[in-house]
Amino acid sequence: MGAEAVFYRALNLNGSALTIGGHAWESAAGAKDVKVSGKTFENQKVLLKPPTDTARTQMIRSSVWGSKVDVELGNVPSGEFQVFLYVWEDNNNERFDLLVNERVVMAGFESGTAGMWKKLGPWPCESVGGKIKVSAHAASHGAANLSGLEIWSGGAAVPKLAKMPFVETPTADQIAFFEAKIRPVLVEHCDKCHSAKSEKIKGGLLLDSRAGVVKGGDTGPTLTPGDPAASLIIQALRHTSEDLAMPPKKMLPAQVIADFEAWVRMGAPDPRTENTVAAVQAKSTIDWSKARDWWSFRPLAAPHLPAVQNAQWPVNDIDHFVLAKLEAAKLKPAAAADKPALIRRATYDLTGLPPTPEEVAAFIADSSPQAFAHVIDRLLDSPRYGERWGRHWLDVVRYADTAGDNSDYPIPQMHRYRDWVIAAFNRDLPYDEFVRDQIAGDLRGGANDEERYQRTLATGYIANSRRFGSRVEDYPQHLTIEDTIDNLGRSFLGLTVNCARCHDHKFDPITTQDYYALYGIFHSTRYPWPGIELDKKQRDLVPLVPVDKIAEAEAARAAREKEQARLDKAAKSLKEEMKQAAPDKKKALEASLAAAEKAAKDFARRPLPFEYAYAVAEAKKREDVAVQQKGDPAKPGDTVRRHFLTVFGGAELPANSQTSGREQLAGWILAKENPLPARVMANRIWQHHFGRGIVPTPNDFGKQGKPATHPELLDYLAVQFRARGWSVKAMHRLIMLSRTYQLGTARDEDAVAHDPTNELLAGFPRLRLDAESIRDTLLTLGGNLDLTPAGAHPFPPQSEWNFTQHNAFKAVYETNRRSVYLMTQRIQRHPYLAIFDGADPSASTPARPTSTTPLQALYLLNDPFVHEQSRRFAERLRSFSSDDTARIQRAYELLFARAAQADEIAAGKAFLANAARQLREDGMSAAQIDTESQHAYVRALFRLNEFVYLD
Amino acid sequence: MNSPHSFRRREVLRSMVGGSLLMPGVLSELLAAGSADPLAPKRPHFPAKAKRVIFIFCNGGVSHMDTFDPKPALFAADGKTMGLGGGLSNQQRVLLKPGWKFRPGGQCGTMVSDLFPKLRDMMDDICLIRSMKGDDNEHANATLGMHTGSFFFSRPSIGSWVSYGLGTMNSNLPSFVALAPQMPYAGTQIFNNDFLPAYHQGVRVVGGKEPIADLDRRTRQKGQQELELGLADVLNNKHLSTRAGDSDLSARIRTFETAFHMQTEAQEAFDVNKESDATLSMYGMKRGDNESFGWQCIVARRLAERGVRFIEVVDGSSSKNWDDHADMAKHADHAKRIDQPIAGLLRDLKERSMLNDTLVVWTTEFGRTPGVDGTKGRGHHSACFSSWLAGGGVKGGLAYGATDEIASTVVENKVHVHDFHATILHLLGFDHTKLTYRHGGRDYRLTDVFGNVISEMLA
Repeated sequence: MGAEAVFYRALNLNGSALTIGGHAWESAAGAKDVKVSGKTFENQKVLLKPPTDTARTQMIRSSVWGSKVDVELGNVPSGEFQVFLYVWEDNNNERFDLLVNERVVMAGFESGTAGMWKKLGPWPCESVGGKIKVSAHAASHGAANLSGLEIWSGGAAVPKLAKMPFVETPTADQIAFFEAKIRPVLVEHCDKCHSAKSEKIKGGLLLDSRAGVVKGGDTGPTLTPGDPAASLIIQALRHTSEDLAMPPKKMLPAQVIADFEAWVRMGAPDPRTENTVAAVQAKSTIDWSKARDWWSFRPLAAPHLPAVQNAQWPVNDIDHFVLAKLEAAKLKPAAAADKPALIRRATYDLTGLPPTPEEVAAFIADSSPQAFAHVIDRLLDSPRYGERWGRHWLDVVRYADTAGDNSDYPIPQMHRYRDWVIAAFNRDLPYDEFVRDQIAGDLRGGANDEERYQRTLATGYIANSRRFGSRVEDYPQHLTIEDTIDNLGRSFLGLTVNCARCHDHKFDPITTQDYYALYGIFHSTRYPWPGIELDKKQRDLVPLVPVDKIAEAEAARAAREKEQARLDKAAKSLKEEMKQAAPDKKKALEASLAAAEKAAKDFARRPLPFEYAYAVAEAKKREDVAVQQKGDPAKPGDTVRRHFLTVFGGAELPANSQTSGREQLAGWILAKENPLPARVMANRIWQHHFGRGIVPTPNDFGKQGKPATHPELLDYLAVQFRARGWSVKAMHRLIMLSRTYQLGTARDEDAVAHDPTNELLAGFPRLRLDAESIRDTLLTLGGNLDLTPAGAHPFPPQSEWNFTQHNAFKAVYETNRRSVYLMTQRIQRHPYLAIFDGADPSASTPARPTSTTPLQALYLLNDPFVHEQSRRFAERLRSFSSDDTARIQRAYELLFARAAQADEIAAGKAFLANAARQLREDGMSAAQIDTESQHAYVRALFRLNEFVYLD
Repeated sequence: MNSPHSFRRREVLRSMVGGSLLMPGVLSELLAAGSADPLAPKRPHFPAKAKRVIFIFCNGGVSHMDTFDPKPALFAADGKTMGLGGGLSNQQRVLLKPGWKFRPGGQCGTMVSDLFPKLRDMMDDICLIRSMKGDDNEHANATLGMHTGSFFFSRPSIGSWVSYGLGTMNSNLPSFVALAPQMPYAGTQIFNNDFLPAYHQGVRVVGGKEPIADLDRRTRQKGQQELELGLADVLNNKHLSTRAGDSDLSARIRTFETAFHMQTEAQEAFDVNKESDATLSMYGMKRGDNESFGWQCIVARRLAERGVRFIEVVDGSSSKNWDDHADMAKHADHAKRIDQPIAGLLRDLKERSMLNDTLVVWTTEFGRTPGVDGTKGRGHHSACFSSWLAGGGVKGGLAYGATDEIASTVVENKVHVHDFHATILHLLGFDHTKLTYRHGGRDYRLTDVFGNVISEMLA
C-alpha cells in the first residue's frame, strides 16, 4: 500500500511557472508530457473570494476554459495518485461535471459568483496506461475555468464507505508509519498545548494518546477516519481558516500534512495505550467530599474560648481569641487608647465624621464604666451611621449612577437603591432580610404598599449590573448576567463564581454547570433597560403603585406616551409646513411652531404621576439555559437545571418551574447549612472596624484568598452574628466594646519586630481616612456640610438624552452634601475619588487601597476646594476668638479632637508671625494679613498626617 | 522646636547633579534609597533596549488602505460590489477606491500614501504592521481593547502595566502621563490603573495654562507655600517621632516634597519656550503654542528626557477624529495635523540619540472598510488595519504582514492586539505571560490568556 503521498507535479494551466506552498509549479504551456485543451483566459482584476496569497491569486485568475476542457499528463509511472484541481469563476455561476480518468468525481459542481474559487480534491486515481486525465464537462453553453492541477503520488485509496471506524488494532506497517511520521510531529508540534503535560490544555483536545484523538476537543472530533477533507486536524494543519490554524505560528511542511492525510485515510492507526483523557479527567474531577472540607465551607460551630494566662485582661470573648494568639507569640498588648483618640476613632468609624469638641469633652467628663457604650449608642442612632456603613456596602456592590455602556447612560432612579441601603443600615435591617430583599424583594410582597415598594427598590442591586457596548443586535446581555453572578458570588458568598463561566473554576469547586444553573435564574429575570446609543429610552422599569393600581399606572404611561407622540408629531408637521410655506406666511407659522415645540418639550419634562423603580421583575420566559461553551453564547452545550452550587448540596428548582428562582436562590444562600454568608459578612464588619479583615481577602474565601489570621475568632463572630438575629449594630457593639478595639496604636518594640504588619493586633492599627471622610471633614470644618439626605441627581431630563459613544454622558455635579451622595459614573471616574482611592464603580471593591501619591499632595496644596474650605475654617476660627492661642487651641480640638500642646502653640504662633512678616513685605494691609496668615495656617494643618490618620 | 527644612535634602542632592537632564535616574535612585517607593526603578525580566514608550493613539479609526496599506486592485475595483464591506454593518458594499497615491519611502521603499509624506521619509526607522486585527467594531470597545487588552471590561491600561513593571526614573513626575487635551473614547478608562495600585494611574495632561489639575500654585505670595510646608514638616515630624517606624507616615511626608517640586519641574517640562526655533519647526509648531498636536509631541519628547516611563499622546477626541463615515477626504486634514509632528518627533529623538532606547508606537482602534459608507466615506473595520513601531529594539524598514487585495482581511502574519501588546512588553524586557498582578483571586495580565511575541519585528 502506497501510504506516503508525495508531491508529484503541479501545473499552472495558463500562466508562468511559480512557487505555491513551497512547491514548484510548472507552466502547462511548456511542460513535458502535458496536453491541455481549452481556450486561455486571464483577468487579474477580479477580486478573489476568499482572498489568498499573491502567487496563488495570480495562478487562479489565469485559466483555461470551455464547455469541455481536458488536461492530460503522460509518462506517469504506475501507482496511486491524488489529484487536486483549482477552479474559479470570473463572472456568472457555471455548472459542470469533473472527471478523472473519465470517471465522474464531482457532478453538477457550481462555480458560484465572480471571484469565487476552490481547490477541489483530493481525488484518488491510478495512472492508466501511463496517463492521468482530468476533464470538465459543462452544458453546451457553459464554461468551466480550470486554473491549476496539483498531483501527489501515493496515498491510501479513499475508502468507498463514507464511514470508517478508527483502526482498532494497527498492523505492523501502520505502527511503523505512525512511529516514523506521526508521533514525532505530535510530540514536537502539538504536545505543548495538547497533552496531559501541557501547562494548559488548549481547546480541550489531547493528542498525546489514542483516547484523546478519538475523543476530540471542544470544537468537535479530531478527525473523520478515512476522510481527510472532513477532518478538523487536517483543516487545522492546512490553515484553512484563521480560527483553525495549527500550529498557529507556521504551517508544517506539505509533506508532513500529506502524511497526516494518509494517516487519516488509513483510519488513524495509533498504537498508544496510555489513556491520558482518563488521567486528566481524574485530575480535574472534583472530589466533592474533599471539596466540602475546605475551611470556609465547613459547618459553623461555636469555637471553644481559648484559655489565656492573663485572665484579667479580656473584657469580652473577642479578647480571649486575640490575647491567646499574642501570648502564644509572646507579645504584649499595647496600652489602651486615650479617650480623645478613642472617641475620634469611634466617631469616624461609625459616622465618617470628626467628633465635635463638645462630644469629646462630654466623653472625657463621663467617668462611668458605660461612657464608651453610650458614645457607641449615640453614634449608632445617628443617621450619619447609615451614610458611612451604607457606603461600605455600596463599594462591595460596585454602585454607580450610570449604566456603564459605551455612552454611560444615566440612571436617574438609581439613587433610590442607594438610599434604601443607607436606610437599611440605619434601621438595622437584619442581614438575612437585607440579602433576601436585594435578590428577590420584588417577589416577597409586603405588609403594606410601602414595604412592597422598599423591597422592590432593593432589587436595584441586580438592576445595577453593568451594561456593555453600543450594539442593539447581538446585545451582550450575557456579560451583564456575568456581572450579576460575579458580584453575587463575591458579595454574599465570598466566592469568585464567575471564574466558572468559560471553564470549571480552576481552584474552587465550582463547575461550569453551576455557573449556568445560576445564569438561568438571571436569564429568567427582567432587567430594566437603561437606554443605549441606538435605543435611548428607558423601559421595563417597575411602577411603584398599589397592586390594584398597576394596570391603571401602565395605562397612564401608555396614554402619556401617546400624547407625547401626538405633540411631537404636531411640531414636526408644522416644521415641514414651514419649509414649504410662502414667505409672507412664515412669520405666523414661526410662532405656532415655537408654541408647539414648547408644548412638546414641556410635556416631556412633566414628571410622571407615580414613581418608577430601576428594579428587576420576573422575565416573560422563565427557563433553564444551556451551558455556553467557552463562555460564548453562540456555542450552546447541554441545558442545565437551575440549581445552587453543587458544593452546598446543589438544591434545584423543580422541572418547568414557573418562577425565575430568585426567591429560592436567596433561600439557598441563607440556608442554615451554608456557613458563608455569616462568615463573609462578619468578616466585613470586622474589616471596617480594624482596616483589615480577619480574612484579608473579604471577597474571596476560596483557595485563592488569603487564610484567616484568627479563624476561631471569625467563627465566633459568625455564630454570634446569626445568634443575634443577623443584627449588624449588635456586632458593632460586640466588637467595639472589646478591649482589643480600644487599644492604643503604640505597640512595643517586640511586637513591631515580630509582627511588623500587626496581624496579631497587639495594638490598634493606625487607619487613614478614606476619600469620603476627608472631603466630609473639610466640609464639616468649613461649616458648610449640607446634612440633608440627598435625593435625585440633577441629570438632564430623559426627553433630552442624546448620548452616544462619541458624546458619552459626562458630568460632575458639585454639592456640599456628604460624599456618599456624589454622583458616581461607571466610565468616567470622579476626579476627586480617583485621586484618593475611591471605590471602583465598575467592579466590586472589597477593601479600599490606601495609596500615597504626589497627586494627593498636589490636591491638598492647590485645589480650589481645599483653599475655599481653609478660608471658611479660618474664618470660623477668627470669629471664635481674636486671640491666636485660643484660635490654635480651637483648631486642634476641631481637627484632632485634642488639646494643642505648648510647643505646637508656639510653632503656630511663630508661623503666624512669619507669615505676617512675609505678607507685610508683600505690601498687604493689616486686616488682610490677619485673614491671610490664618488661612495659611489652616492650609498647613490640613496637610498634616495627624489630620488623615486615626490613632 | 526649630525649623529643620527637610526640603533641603532634595535641594542638596539636586545641586549635586546640577539639574542635568541625563541624571534624573541617578537622582531618583538616590532619593528613593532606603525607602519602599512603589515607583522605584525596577529591572524587567530580561535586558532590553527600550526604556520608555511614547504611545501615539489616533481616535476614530484611521483608514489603512488610504495610508499605509497600498491596494492597487482596490483602485481598479472602484464601484464594484465585492465581498463583505466589513465593519459596522457586515453588508456587501460598493468598493471605494483609496483617495491618495502611494509612493515608496526611504531606502526600504515601503509604500506609503501621500497623506503621510513626512512619515514616508522616515520608513527606514519604522516597522510597519499591515496585518493588525482587533475584536470589536465599536469605537469605545476597540479603544478599550487597544489600551487594556480587554474589549469590554475595565482593566489596567498598558501604561499602568509598564509603570507597574518598570517603576519610574524621576519621582518628581508621574510615571505614566497621558497627553490628552480632549477625552478619548471610553473616557478615563483608557489611562486608568484599574486594580493596579494608584501610583500607576495615568496622569492626564490637558495642555493650556494649567496642564495638570492642581499643578498651579494657588498661593500667589512669594515664599508662602514654603512657609506652610515648613510648618507642616515640623508638625509632621513631631507626630512621626512618637510613631517611629511607621513608613506610611514618612512616605506621605515625602509626597509633599515631590508635589512641591512637581509644581516647578512639571511646569518646566510642559513649557516649550526654551526650545529653539529649529526644533519647534521640526514639529510644525509656532512659538507660544501650548495645546496643538505638535505641542503634545514635543512635550512627549521632553517628558521622555525627564525619565517618564510611559507617555501617551492622544490625537483627537471621541467626537472630533478620524471617523470619516461621510467623507474620506477629511482624512487629509487629520493627516496634516499629525504627519509633521510625528515625523519631527522621530527625527528629534534620533538626533538626541534617544530613539534607540525609546519605543514609539503609532496606532488607532481599527481600520476602515474597503466598501463605501454613504457616498464618500468608510465604515469601521477591525478585521484588519495598520499600526507601526519605531525605535528601541524594533527592526526599522520592515513592512510586516499583509491583507488581501482589497484590504478586507489579513492573509499573512496576523498581529492581533494581544500580539501587539505582547511584542511591546517584550521590547521593554518583559515576558508578557509573567508580568502579572494578583487581583480578585487570579493573576491578571495585559494580554489576558493570549498573545504571541512577533519575533520578526525585533531588531
